[in-house]
Amino acid sequence: MNLQAIAFYVLSVITVVSALGVVSARNPVHSVLYLILSFFTAAGLFVLLGAEFLAMLLIVVYVGAVAVLFLFVVMMLDVDFGSLREGFVRYLPIGGVVAAVLVVEMVLVATAVGEQGAAKGSGAPDILLDAPNTEQIGRVLYTDYIYFFQAAGMVLLVAMIGAIVLTLRHRPGVKRQSVMDQVARTPAKGMRIVQVKTGEGISE
Amino acid sequence: MMDFSGAVALALPEIILAVGALILLMVGAFGGDKSTGLVSVGSGGVLIAGAVAAAYGPLGSTFNGGFVADNAAAFAKVFIYGFSAVGVLLGDRWLKRMAASKFEFPVLIVIAALGMGMMASAGDLISLYIGVELQSLALYVLCAFRRDDAKASEAGLKYFVLGALSSGLLLYGASLIYGFAGSTKFVDIAAAVQAGAGQGAIFGVVFLICGLAFKVSAAPFHMWTPDVYEGAPTPVVAFVAAAPKMAAMVLFARALLQGFPGAVGQWQQVLVVVAALSMGWGALAGLRQRNLKRLLAYSSVTNIGYALLGIAAGTDQGVTAMLVFMVLYMIDTTGLFACLLALNRDGKPMETLADFAGLAKEKPGLALCITGLSFSVMGIPPFAGFWAKFYVFKAAIAAGLWPIAVFGLVASVVAAFYYLRIIKTMWFDPSPGRTDASPLDARGVAVAAALFSCGLVVLALNPLDTVAKLAAAAFHLS
Amino acid sequence: MLEFWTTPLGWTLLTVGQILLITVVLLICVAFLLLMDRKVWAGVQLRKGPNVVGPFGLLQSFADLLKFVLKELIIPAGADKFVFLLAPIITVIVACIGWSVVPFAPGWVIANLNVGILYLLAVSSLGVYGIIMGGWASNSKYPFLGALRSAAQMVSYEVSIGFIIITVILLTGSMNLSTIVDHQAGSILNWHFIGGGANLPTVVVMFPMMVMFFISALAETNRPPFDLPEAESELVAGYQVEYSSTPYLLFMLGEYMNIVLMCAMISVLFFGGWHAPWPEGYLEGLPPTLVSFHGLIIFSVKIVFWFFMFAMVKAIVPRYRYDQLMRLGWKVFLPTSLVAVALIAAWRVFGPGA
Repeated sequence: MNLQAIAFYVLSVITVVSALGVVSARNPVHSVLYLILSFFTAAGLFVLLGAEFLAMLLIVVYVGAVAVLFLFVVMMLDVDFGSLREGFVRYLPIGGVVAAVLVVEMVLVATAVGEQGAAKGSGAPDILLDAPNTEQIGRVLYTDYIYFFQAAGMVLLVAMIGAIVLTLRHRPGVKRQSVMDQVARTPAKGMRIVQVKTGEGISE
Repeated sequence: MMDFSGAVALALPEIILAVGALILLMVGAFGGDKSTGLVSVGSGGVLIAGAVAAAYGPLGSTFNGGFVADNAAAFAKVFIYGFSAVGVLLGDRWLKRMAASKFEFPVLIVIAALGMGMMASAGDLISLYIGVELQSLALYVLCAFRRDDAKASEAGLKYFVLGALSSGLLLYGASLIYGFAGSTKFVDIAAAVQAGAGQGAIFGVVFLICGLAFKVSAAPFHMWTPDVYEGAPTPVVAFVAAAPKMAAMVLFARALLQGFPGAVGQWQQVLVVVAALSMGWGALAGLRQRNLKRLLAYSSVTNIGYALLGIAAGTDQGVTAMLVFMVLYMIDTTGLFACLLALNRDGKPMETLADFAGLAKEKPGLALCITGLSFSVMGIPPFAGFWAKFYVFKAAIAAGLWPIAVFGLVASVVAAFYYLRIIKTMWFDPSPGRTDASPLDARGVAVAAALFSCGLVVLALNPLDTVAKLAAAAFHLS
Repeated sequence: MLEFWTTPLGWTLLTVGQILLITVVLLICVAFLLLMDRKVWAGVQLRKGPNVVGPFGLLQSFADLLKFVLKELIIPAGADKFVFLLAPIITVIVACIGWSVVPFAPGWVIANLNVGILYLLAVSSLGVYGIIMGGWASNSKYPFLGALRSAAQMVSYEVSIGFIIITVILLTGSMNLSTIVDHQAGSILNWHFIGGGANLPTVVVMFPMMVMFFISALAETNRPPFDLPEAESELVAGYQVEYSSTPYLLFMLGEYMNIVLMCAMISVLFFGGWHAPWPEGYLEGLPPTLVSFHGLIIFSVKIVFWFFMFAMVKAIVPRYRYDQLMRLGWKVFLPTSLVAVALIAAWRVFGPGA
């Protein structure tokens, strides 16, 4: 057994076990931590496949940003999982059936891809075998897939507009710091020197 | 792969819309909500420019087969962009009346229209999914646009959650198809299915149909429709009820006819079941509704059933019928929602059946419009709806689906009952009070739609049929 | 004998040996850098700083180490024990693994990854987990607030760090750290912060990028003036409140190793890595080991210089308020770095070197 095989088995076992942990952990925060572990080991599997760019993206995007915010929200929400778990046994048969169907279909696809001629990636773009895979991805992403790439950008833009439209509130009467104004302020504008006469004070 | 300028020429409508939306967004971001009027006018202009570009643009396919500009796409885009422009008009005026102008509203409609155009032009499972997502995301936000309104928020949230579920189904189907066919392009999938890609791909089609059926609100995936129609603001519903359905139906036709021409038998069964359920359930459940928006929601479920029947026929004639049906239905439904938008009592929208009592004396013009449009949706002979159903049934019978056509006829008789009830309430019941003055824009759209459906349709039918035939022929290119 | 090192077992032993070597050397360096931090701080405030343990206080850090290790470990009641203890360990591990791709000298790198720079970005983004887990597991208000602050802060500044890194990648055309360093060979004129060689006009963009990277690095490592997660005057010590003994030591250690890693990153990305600021023609013909040592010394000097900058900022600049921090990250750095990426990309495509 070579090193790669050992690494593969170690990583895949951790991935599967932590994925199980995600659904079985009692504490939601633990669930998210398991999720992060499983992302992390999945990135390791990508590295074994030689897809180091994808592996790093998985960590930067999912582990470094998405999961942090996820953890953030779960910690803040303080979900009572006891009550969420109540229907678990009741819905177990339905969930089991769905899961079984999914497993069967995945196995079908896997065997079809493995055995059949028709399923051999006829649409896969040409790959430059000597280029690093960052460059390979770049080459197809910005040529053949430019349309999808730009369209996906529009989808993200809509998500952003939506989040802003639905949450941004301009409350009246809130004082905001304007750095520009602060910097532009001069003694002449901000200060008035008055001669106060004794006993009279200043009336405004 | 075509050269760059060729690709740009083919995708010009999309590029106009995307770039236009970005520019308008900038205008709005720097001009604030004061610039809403300007952004609305700009949105209308961008949409019309897109429609013109789609109508006169070159034909072909580009971006590695991901984007198809053919007659069908052009046909759909002209109507989608046109109805989106109407949506911008109604929405902008309405927001102004509510004193809640926000420049994002017209921009979101433009982006939704962009997504619909992409759906109509999708030649690939990836562009199919991205188009659907772009369109849906924009619509979710539009539905929840008035966040302070609990019902609108609920509508938006429900739409979003169920929409995410349906996107999941869609993606799952797409991944199964990809797994078995080895490609995401419809053309390659068709070849792979022809070569015997196995039952797995058919599994995938079923999931794909489920996901798309959700988007067109066909039974049994229509659960979101009544709630969203009831909760969302009326101008948004007027938009949601028309253009997205057209886009989703064209996408439906393209995915099935271009991706799976060799498996008509398999997907036809599924479509027939979905169509029958939609027609039957929409007609029956509509009977119980007292809220006009909910009622129209069930009516849309029924009508989508008829349109699906056209695709289920699996012939050129069927698709032609579907396209004609969708256009006429879009006009009817936009007209009806414009009527609802035009009617307010004491500043509140009139939405229940009781509100409409005696409307004929208050607002004879609008009452007449509603009556005409209702007759049309019912399918009473010279009106638009009759011709729409006539085409569909003819195609279905020609394809040997006569039992389901008969079922559809029965359903339409049942559905006729609830339209008759509205008409009776309007003309014969005593009025509970005065209505507010109706705004010009909604009234104008309502009258225009009614005029078309009740008279002009006879003139328009022939050219529409010719164009639709051309469009339907495009699906058999592959 | 040489063949043994290419067998799986030999390779594993060799790699483990390299890792151990770097870790040990690094730990010793951190001990002295910590002392330097305190000395610089003291100097700015006209104090002497630690000067009792050993000559000039040189052994102060080791005394501190002993003290921490020998103290009692307290785990608060109601704390999530496992996560509570896991958090400092993760902090240290994450701070260590980043070093595996840092090229100390020509060829002196444990893993010469093609995506080394992305790896560094990924690892630096993981640092937040130690803090957020520690803050949550303490089951206490102040640590939790500190953890939330740090999560928002680190995620925000990561975005601009990512964009700044992209400008460097665009200039180099590679994500391999050794290639990036070699791209800056020659003299100081080729270093990225003044545009990198023939692309001298890009200095207008690249110099501000270096400054922004430095500031973002301060925020990313929770150093003053961005030490809001700890903020002694507001949150007592933020996420570290409940920690004592070795776990606390591990947090401190991880923090300082992260800082040194950031210094190394700036040196590699903008300051020419192991290359001297003067022309290096005299190195030709020398044995490779000697050249490597020459590079190592220069690289170390650069790291120490940047660490000195970190220390000076800590001593001089007052702490930011939270909204100012967010404003700086999202409204100033993000748009600026985005524009910089566009400019550098345009320069690469349309500029004279294209």
